[in-house]
Amino acid sequence: MGAFGSPIHCSQRLLFVHSMETVLQVLIDGILSGLLYALVAAGLCLIWGVMDVINFAHGEFLMVAMYVSYWLGFLAGVDPLVSVLAAGAFVFLLGVLTYQLIVKYTVGKPPLAALLATFGLAMLIKNFCLNRFSPNFRILSDTWLGDKTYHLGELIIPIPQLVTGIIALLVIGLVYALINSTRFGWAVQATAMDKEAAELMGINTERIYLLIFGIGGACVGIAGGIMPTYLAVHPEVGSLFGLIAFICVAMGGFGSIPGALFAGLLVGVVESFAGFYIAPVFKYVAVFGLYLAVVAFRRKGLFGW
Amino acid sequence: MNRKSLRLLGCVAVAAVLCLLLAAGPAAAQQKVIKIGTIFPLTGPVANAGQRCQAAVQTAVEIVNGQHPGVKVPLAKKGGLLGGYKIQLVHADSQGKPDIGKAEAERLLNQEGVWALIGSYNSSVSGPASLVAERAKKIFMCGASSSSALTKRNLNYFFRLAPTDATESAEFVEVLKWLNQKQNANIRTIGIIYENTLFGKGAAGEAKKAATAAGFSVVVDVPYTPGATNLNSEVQTLKTKNPDALFGAVLGADYALMVKTMKQANWVPRMSINYCSGYQDPIIAKQLGKDADLFMGSNAYTPQFATLLPAVAAVEKIFKTKTKGVPFDGDSIQEAVAVIVLAQAIEKAGSLDPEKVVKVLHESTFDSPLSLGGKVQFAKGGQNIKAFSIVTQLQNGEYKRLYPAELADSKAKVVFPMKPWNKR
Amino acid sequence: MVNPTKNRIFGKDAVWLLFIAVVAVLPLVPGFADNSFRMHVFILILLYASMAQAWNILGGYCGQVSFGHSVFFGIGAYGAAMALVTYGTAPWPGILIGMAAAGLVAVVISYPCFKLSGHYFAIATFAIVEIFFRMFQVWDWIGGAIGLDYPVIEEGLWNLVWYSKTGYYYFALILFVIVFGVVRWLEGHRFGYYMKAVREGQETAESLGVNSAMVKLTAMAISAVLTALCGVFFVQYNLRVDPSMVISLDMAMKFVLITILGGAGTLLGPLAGAAVLIPLQEYTRAFWGGLGGGIDLIIFGLIIILMVIKQPAGIVGIFQGIRQRIAKARGKGGAEIGTP
Repeated sequence: MGAFGSPIHCSQRLLFVHSMETVLQVLIDGILSGLLYALVAAGLCLIWGVMDVINFAHGEFLMVAMYVSYWLGFLAGVDPLVSVLAAGAFVFLLGVLTYQLIVKYTVGKPPLAALLATFGLAMLIKNFCLNRFSPNFRILSDTWLGDKTYHLGELIIPIPQLVTGIIALLVIGLVYALINSTRFGWAVQATAMDKEAAELMGINTERIYLLIFGIGGACVGIAGGIMPTYLAVHPEVGSLFGLIAFICVAMGGFGSIPGALFAGLLVGVVESFAGFYIAPVFKYVAVFGLYLAVVAFRRKGLFGW
Repeated sequence: MNRKSLRLLGCVAVAAVLCLLLAAGPAAAQQKVIKIGTIFPLTGPVANAGQRCQAAVQTAVEIVNGQHPGVKVPLAKKGGLLGGYKIQLVHADSQGKPDIGKAEAERLLNQEGVWALIGSYNSSVSGPASLVAERAKKIFMCGASSSSALTKRNLNYFFRLAPTDATESAEFVEVLKWLNQKQNANIRTIGIIYENTLFGKGAAGEAKKAATAAGFSVVVDVPYTPGATNLNSEVQTLKTKNPDALFGAVLGADYALMVKTMKQANWVPRMSINYCSGYQDPIIAKQLGKDADLFMGSNAYTPQFATLLPAVAAVEKIFKTKTKGVPFDGDSIQEAVAVIVLAQAIEKAGSLDPEKVVKVLHESTFDSPLSLGGKVQFAKGGQNIKAFSIVTQLQNGEYKRLYPAELADSKAKVVFPMKPWNKR
Repeated sequence: MVNPTKNRIFGKDAVWLLFIAVVAVLPLVPGFADNSFRMHVFILILLYASMAQAWNILGGYCGQVSFGHSVFFGIGAYGAAMALVTYGTAPWPGILIGMAAAGLVAVVISYPCFKLSGHYFAIATFAIVEIFFRMFQVWDWIGGAIGLDYPVIEEGLWNLVWYSKTGYYYFALILFVIVFGVVRWLEGHRFGYYMKAVREGQETAESLGVNSAMVKLTAMAISAVLTALCGVFFVQYNLRVDPSMVISLDMAMKFVLITILGGAGTLLGPLAGAAVLIPLQEYTRAFWGGLGGGIDLIIFGLIIILMVIKQPAGIVGIFQGIRQRIAKARGKGGAEIGTP
């Protein structure tokens, strides 16, 4: 800061610089958490869009992935950046199992059946982890990215969150490409539009559903895999993430992956600004309020039709 | 398929009906057993603290029931109470929910026929559960709930061991004055971060009262949602207002997240002082490593108090077998004290008449080698007036005793102000 | 068309009256009221059956799945608690104000929400619960996150507080009779058919001259007012209220869970759901909760999964299946028994 000028002038200038930088800092924080929300939401979005099934255990899938990554790091010294893959694969299997053992039996049944069954599953997974791993919270220390920050002038960019954001963009891009430009993706779209017709075309819809549940799980598994770098793992950690994912998916428009990405970013930014400029205690109120405001104007979400 | 599902559901229905019919009636009173019920949050968001509290009660009961010549705690050597009575525990889970805690209190008192209750960690659960005990004229021993409102209800059968948030707030303000005097700290402004629950809001309210009365100004007041996905805006708000001292009532995983977020935001207040919460959780120092250093807070116990409380070591050894090596903390040890004080009162009353035991609890002063100060005495309403905690600072993973001066570690020196993150 | 319906309804009513009579005299049976935990379970069954039935008006009969009912539940609970704790009067004026407020809030928030379809509506109700929960937590006038604790007060009708379970038992029974009575009356009333018409298809209903928006709003209001009444019972029973006890997603899920597992859109469903789920929840906790590993909740979760995937039409569906089979065995055919 310049040492010239009157003290009053200087402090005014300081205030201005301070507030400009604060705005940017709040924006960065918002975007980074928004990308994470988007990645968590993308998995849910896929399942929801294709199968019209609400997976209530989504937050618990995230928690399981965090445990996978934590235990790999704690017992075998694997860095979360590597165990992301293992966590993704594990939750892929968890998703496949969930479909085979539970969700399969609810397809074509009353619409709430799958939601209630996965609600039971959420309860089961959460308390199973509590039973096995104790309710203690766990932090992975000495990770490659842990606590590293990049200073851009006065702005602070946390590296772990930044890497999470990049991974989120990559994964969401991959999923989008998978759905939109592969034969498998066309089959998925056909199934989502009209199951019977797709079956008549020779598409094995059962297998499509199975894989979609797995891929949806893998998305949230990757998100959960990297999170132990900066968030403590405990059995309750997934609940609020799951809820925010619901909001993102619905806000973006069911089944729209760009919608989920955009909504996730919006949620993150709104949360960050409301938390800082209104009051921290209102940050989630603003997020839920934002959803109501969006659907008041666009009844099918931002990208839905 | 259909027939199978029918059969399955039939089974479920039959099981439900059977449960109803076979509802456990009052178990036949066994010979020479004192049944005591525990209610703790064994599942849900604060399950880690609840499970530790339960283990502490189990430890204390084991000591009272058996013969432990090596343990220097009242009643440890004798084996049993009143000439051969053993305490038998019946456990219940409150899930941290007041309605469930209350229902479990009723079940324990009426169905299990327990003689007294111990619980419930969450102040919000201890409130309704102790009302149930009061109506039934049964003793409710409360170890760790900190809401000062609990002992303002003038209940006759309710006894609370831990210091209240009001006591702690007053102590914290004393610490600030002490720092201003001794270290020339020039602390004027205070910020508060607390979880938006009964515990956090109660603590923050008392903090504001005490700080304002002593002439400090509270410049920022940040409640947050427990289990938050991030604490960015919370920490950013604190950073912008930059209070001299930060009071925190932040539990468990949220405490870890708060410290990490402060580190990321590259901000520390000049001093930070925390209620019996995440700060004194024995796994914090281990999990956060060096990052946890230089924060201050109140402890009723940590293993580093060994010289002050030499009796704890032997008890802690038993405790650790139940918690996979996690030592006592300030909350769980209060639950153990609750058991031992209750046992002493029974022994002194010489009878199992609750009225007589309550009279003893109200009128006597108890030796308590597990609590700071070594004594326990209850005022009207059930508050332990001998309760206090020591303000410590984490230095290299160890809790250094700083205040009050007569209990301070002579070798420890307060580090003030807190070092910025890049200079650690 | 009219006569057989009437007949069937009379038969149904007789069964209900018999049920209520039996429940009413149960505490007089020697030994029944002694076991306070059993009484507690019966009270909860009656309470949750009433809650589920209130939800059933909107969710079952009218087909609008709301996850937001814990808001109305909370408003009712706070009405009574504010009157008693904050203003030191009897809960009665608070009950009336709470019920009216719940109805009003229901109409105000559902007017825009009803324009949404399916999942968008469901998620909107989720969002409303979260918003109300957080606003209640910072609203100091109603006690905020600290909540309202009942002082020690005299028992009796004036304060709606009892020291024994029997008082609450009859309070719950009256609640049950009110809520079931209203729904039973709606079932036979023209409005009940309007609701079902809206559920089966809004466009069709509109084409038949049913004002579907009005029907949905009215159903929501009735449902919310009755839910608030259940909230009153909850707070009078637990003698404490804070936002996380009443306005939580957990609580909101219970409304849905019990109704759907019992059988949505049927008069018997909510009672059947509560009669199976509540004892399961309470007794698994009593037997295994103290072990500390969440085993009771694992088992409860597993049972929910099994019930849903094995019998998605609900417990009422089982009864109907049995009736159908009996009818078949008699050679009558099960044609007259429609699915809910």
